[in-house]
Amino acid sequence: MRNVAIVGAGQTHHARRRTDVTQAGLAREAAMRALEDADLTIDDIDSIVVCTGPVLFAAVNQPEKWLADALGARLKPVVRVTSGGGTGLAGALSGLNQVAGGAAERVLVVAYDKLSEGALQYSISTLYDPFWGREFAVGIMGFSAAYWRARMEPLGHTEEAAAMVSVKNRRNAIRNPYAHFKKEVTVEDVLESRPLCAPIKLLDVPPISDGACAVVLASEGAAKSSPNPAWIRGMAYYCEAENATSRSMLQSEPLTLAAQKAYKQASITNPRRQADVVEVQEPYTCFELSYYEGLGLCREGGAAELLASGATEMDGEIPVNPSGGCMGANPIGAAALIRLAEVAQQVRERCGDYQIPGAKVGIAQAGGGWANLRGVAVVSSNRS
Amino acid sequence: MSSSDLNRVAVVSAAQTQLCESWNGRQHVDLIFSAVSDALRGSGLDIADVDVVIDCGSDVLDGRSISNCGFLGAMGAHCKEESRVEEDGLWGAAYAMNKIAAGGAKVALVVAYSKPSESSVAAYYSSIAEPFYQRPVGLDHLSAAGLMANQYLAATGLDEDALVDVAAHDWERAAANEWVNTDGAPGKADVAASDLVAEPLRAFEVSRPVDGAVAVVLAAEDVARRCAQVPVWLTGAGSAMDSHMLAERKPGELEACAAAARSAYRRAGISEPGRFGIAEVSAGSAAAELMTLEALDLAVQGKSTLLYDASSPIAVNPSGGAIPADPIMATGLVRLSEAALQLAGQVDRGTSGVGSAVVHGAGGLGMQNHCVFTLEV
Amino acid sequence: MAAGLNTGIDEAPVFETTLTMPYTLTTGRAAGTYLAELANQRIVGSRSSSSGKVVVPPSDYGDDGEPPELVVVPATGTVTAWTRTSAGTLAMIRLDGADTDLVHRIVGDHFGLANGCRVAAVWASDAETTNALAGFELTDAPVEEAEVVPLETDTEPIAELPYQLDLDYQHSYGLYYGRMFDELATQRRIVGTKCPSCQSVLIPARGNCDVCFVPTAQVVDVADTGTLLGFSVINMEFVGQKRKPPYIYAEINLDGSATRLIHNVGGFDIDRTEELLSIGMKVRAVWKEGTSARGTLADIDYFEPIGDQS
Repeated sequence: MRNVAIVGAGQTHHARRRTDVTQAGLAREAAMRALEDADLTIDDIDSIVVCTGPVLFAAVNQPEKWLADALGARLKPVVRVTSGGGTGLAGALSGLNQVAGGAAERVLVVAYDKLSEGALQYSISTLYDPFWGREFAVGIMGFSAAYWRARMEPLGHTEEAAAMVSVKNRRNAIRNPYAHFKKEVTVEDVLESRPLCAPIKLLDVPPISDGACAVVLASEGAAKSSPNPAWIRGMAYYCEAENATSRSMLQSEPLTLAAQKAYKQASITNPRRQADVVEVQEPYTCFELSYYEGLGLCREGGAAELLASGATEMDGEIPVNPSGGCMGANPIGAAALIRLAEVAQQVRERCGDYQIPGAKVGIAQAGGGWANLRGVAVVSSNRS
Repeated sequence: MSSSDLNRVAVVSAAQTQLCESWNGRQHVDLIFSAVSDALRGSGLDIADVDVVIDCGSDVLDGRSISNCGFLGAMGAHCKEESRVEEDGLWGAAYAMNKIAAGGAKVALVVAYSKPSESSVAAYYSSIAEPFYQRPVGLDHLSAAGLMANQYLAATGLDEDALVDVAAHDWERAAANEWVNTDGAPGKADVAASDLVAEPLRAFEVSRPVDGAVAVVLAAEDVARRCAQVPVWLTGAGSAMDSHMLAERKPGELEACAAAARSAYRRAGISEPGRFGIAEVSAGSAAAELMTLEALDLAVQGKSTLLYDASSPIAVNPSGGAIPADPIMATGLVRLSEAALQLAGQVDRGTSGVGSAVVHGAGGLGMQNHCVFTLEV
Repeated sequence: MAAGLNTGIDEAPVFETTLTMPYTLTTGRAAGTYLAELANQRIVGSRSSSSGKVVVPPSDYGDDGEPPELVVVPATGTVTAWTRTSAGTLAMIRLDGADTDLVHRIVGDHFGLANGCRVAAVWASDAETTNALAGFELTDAPVEEAEVVPLETDTEPIAELPYQLDLDYQHSYGLYYGRMFDELATQRRIVGTKCPSCQSVLIPARGNCDVCFVPTAQVVDVADTGTLLGFSVINMEFVGQKRKPPYIYAEINLDGSATRLIHNVGGFDIDRTEELLSIGMKVRAVWKEGTSARGTLADIDYFEPIGDQS
């Protein structure tokens, strides 16, 4: 397959509410920043992929149609790719295939959500089948909590371990200029915070954010003019039917499959040793524990131990979420692309205060839906 | 840049459910499973051979956020690479084509579906309009189509007879199409006598939303040659988006459709689009259909009516096109399915022996977004 | 599904859902100003400093990427296109001095409306609302010296627009849900479909096995007892919530089936949840008195723990 690189990335300064721009303006801001980072203009872009959370979040159906003018995309190919919370990574994968498939030399992927505008839990609860279970739905929090409960004993994903995720990520967010939730917490703070859908408590939950992120993908030829491209060495995105017989609450098969494929493409056999930095999309703290195992950073049931050892801290052996993850900012439709952008910027050494020194290989994980849509990407400062 | 490392991509098989005003006794999953099963059967491949599923549908039409989540099992996507393109199915085919060309998959399944009967089509379209200027004045698919038709007639000097002829042609073809459920076909007099629904457009001249599902199996060259009696090569694809503000688009033309066509033709190395034997296009109205044919460079502005003459070398919408049957979000993929089956000789629409086709899909309010494919056997 | 299959089952019942979703939409500078100034009977456009192009309605972006100047355009213009639907008449209107058309309503008696007609704004009597511009009516006023002037105003832009999306659905039951909910309503029985390949029983009843990808036509009974796979005490309230907390969200594997049922656990003081519930315990359905016209999951009131039967 042809090589594809990220040659620019940009994010808005995410906020609880952006009162100064429309959805289109928010997306444009990130797009302009990514183009500037790539030293390009929109005229250099062949194609645009837009990613958002479910449209019921913000009252505009097919918002890429509205965004086209603000992005300067008139008469260019524009398409929207969605996958719940994983939309940003799914969109990047479609952009990658445009480049690798010869349809474009440079693709702009822009992802955003303006969660302040709508009734988040109401709209996401419509994920549920209207005939079957929607009356019990609490967005994705209800089932996420129920599945976490099932993992606690067999895998040791205790409330304490999850609280440590919250502590780590909220502390990391302080150094991230794009994060807006910058308040350190202690394990006690998290354990004592109000239960929402037990065992998920208030401080296990990310903030609600308005924000956007954009990334410029380029072919090998187009990337020649970039001083420090982040090569996408592997990327895969899998699903499982949400009520299939084989669905496990303990491990995510689509995550395992996506990791296997991405690692194979990238010649990764030992992610913990070979990767320098990891970004995962944790809609609740408990998920980060699952991702350690699903990404092969530790054995099944070893997540709490890995976290407690300090290995996933900023100065640890395998830093996870140096950006602060979703705990620092969670514009859901952008969150997955932010994870990819963050590892790309890490291996391009553009992370300033939260740069992981010497980062050369990064892993990004994202996903959404009924926790049944999962993707993994591997980026590297080396092309091969 | 040399494209010798890119794989050629072909349609191996395609299938659809009947398209009808209301599949009231079936759910989305039933329609999807039916189309996918039939498409696989036609390919000789098993679901296990499918590397990736690209699906197209609309949360707003389905009444569910991330609606593909609930339909993955019916698509055969369980534990496979999957992606949802929330646009007409023809864009899903473009994604799948790129992935196979890139070497990222050997076999791709593209699925598109909708059940507009379960909700309000007007609400769906008006929700696409930005909420500050166009939506509050009531712009929806009908008023957008009417304004565009008004502009087209003004620009070309054509009158309503041109619209009647297009509609009657499409309805006649649809009535003969076993996959479209119609109550007979309105003739020219019926079309001309039907109510004005978006002046100057009459009821039979605007696309009729229908329920249905369609599935297309694409494969890389080596697999295609093994599985398909007649592989239908996707030689080119292109898309383009116009301005969201209806009033800022060029009146009387579909500029984005022309841009998409140029891109597809360039990729296919086609310099004479008039050589296509079949044009399957997705138009929201009879006027839009004429504009589409002109944007595809098959005729100059105002002259596409000639393409419907018996002497025309191009067969326009042998399936009937979108006016008699518009399964919103799936229409373009139905066009691809139809064109491929016609070229492969698997369905007879009076186009046997034809060697190439141009296929068109559209999305958005007033056809803001356009996608064009070129096919060859 | 061959051609000719009976598809016109118009009388089949449907399951209705209504989404009534509230929003506060951020308007941005251009739209916020445009909407606010309608109350002042002013139509606002934007003018790019580089090209001088006057865009109505106003855009946040100029030709050069810089925020354009906001201007007031005359409230008279010429129709360039129009259409009439059952909802009324819309037109594209080139307001005097503007370089783009505004799409808006034509109101009043507009017999003889044609491209090229002159129109003038009609302001609503209640000028406070964003609907202060009711539309445009035919007028005899000739084309004036176009006077586009910079906007000078004390009125604050409307920064946030309250909005509501009302979406109604009539979902088809289909054969499998139809049968399943019929059995719930009439027999107080839960049924699923069995995969002929893996032999798993799937609920809700469905037409194909997700894993084996084969049709599942055989309908089989499923017990109303099962195993508690996961649960959560819900204490969170949100707009649009269907069930008032607190309640216990539960995912249950019914005996004889291989998939998950979403429901709730109850029948005891919710404060004793930690004490009484555990993953893997047995639960049993407690049915509601009487039945609804068309069965739903709500025919089961809740699931309760069954003694010590693990």
